[in-house]
Amino acid sequence: MIFAILGLLAGIFLGLKLNITYPAKYALYISVAILASLDSVFGAARSILEDKFNTEIFVSGFFTNAILAGFLAYIGDRLGVPLYYAAIFAFGGRLFQNFASIRRHLLERFRSRMATKQDG
Amino acid sequence: MKIRLNKIILLFLCVVLGFFIATQTKIVQGDYSFVSLRTIIDLQNLIKKEEEELSNISELIMSSKNRLLEYETAISEGGSIKDVLAKEHEQFKMTSGFVDLEGPGVIIWLSDSNRELYEWEDPNNVIVHDLDVLILVNDLKTAGAEAISINGQRIMGTSEIQCAGATITINNHTYGQPYIIRAIGDPDTLGAAVKSPESYASLLKDVYGLGLDVEIYENVKVPKFGSDINWKYLTPKEGE
Repeated sequence: MIFAILGLLAGIFLGLKLNITYPAKYALYISVAILASLDSVFGAARSILEDKFNTEIFVSGFFTNAILAGFLAYIGDRLGVPLYYAAIFAFGGRLFQNFASIRRHLLERFRSRMATKQDG
Repeated sequence: MKIRLNKIILLFLCVVLGFFIATQTKIVQGDYSFVSLRTIIDLQNLIKKEEEELSNISELIMSSKNRLLEYETAISEGGSIKDVLAKEHEQFKMTSGFVDLEGPGVIIWLSDSNRELYEWEDPNNVIVHDLDVLILVNDLKTAGAEAISINGQRIMGTSEIQCAGATITINNHTYGQPYIIRAIGDPDTLGAAVKSPESYASLLKDVYGLGLDVEIYENVKVPKFGSDINWKYLTPKEGE
């Protein structure tokens, strides 16, 4: 968890500092890809809390989800159908689910810790 | 060790993600909304139109440059822009009919017939009609007349030849017979146009017996258009 937050902060810092840009017409695809990656990171955080974290699943999900989401947005643009909504709904929904279970796990941990403190 | 590797991978990917998020926020300024195909096509058409206009304008620039070059050569040859402009002005006046002209051509006298009517004959047969004059003028134009006047009225693009009872109205001026038509051009072809046996003029003269005399002159004077032209509806087309 702490590593993930640290990494995100470092990445944002780097992105703001380094002057790397890409054409604005790819911004939509990248934004959908970012959403997919964010979902993967949240999923990773949740699986760490659940002690089910698997590096292979995380890494493959991180990249394939991002690429698939960006590709979907691109195909939708070609076909004239806003297909990127599919990615937004799917990953957005999962993002909230992941966040909800993270919250629940953290609360449970907190509660159990309080309980042990009271016991002890 | 395994856990540490996992954390490093997580850290690394989070760095990548954060980097992209930051870059994205830098690039997406304002709203980036989905654009439908129709909007794209509309915009493409708009661009195409603008490009056409642009090419028109560049053509205009080219012609203007050519004219500028003309002026410059005139200056370098010792004249001034004023001379060139004055010359151009004279030319425009000449083509538009605001200048007295002279040159070789023909003069046609057209008058009503003096002959007696047959019994029951329509008296219209022996008087000059607006159509007769109109067709004569057209014949002269076909024969290459460069300037035509009727009774001192220059025939312009806007000139009407209209029946007004026993008279004819030309350029809002009404004239009775005889009608004197002056035309500048190649005297031979002009003469042939009104003298040859197939012509409408010889039909008027020989069949209807109207008074029609044609003379070829070395120097025919055609007067300028007397009044002013005020356009009410015309405007120059933009971008041409």
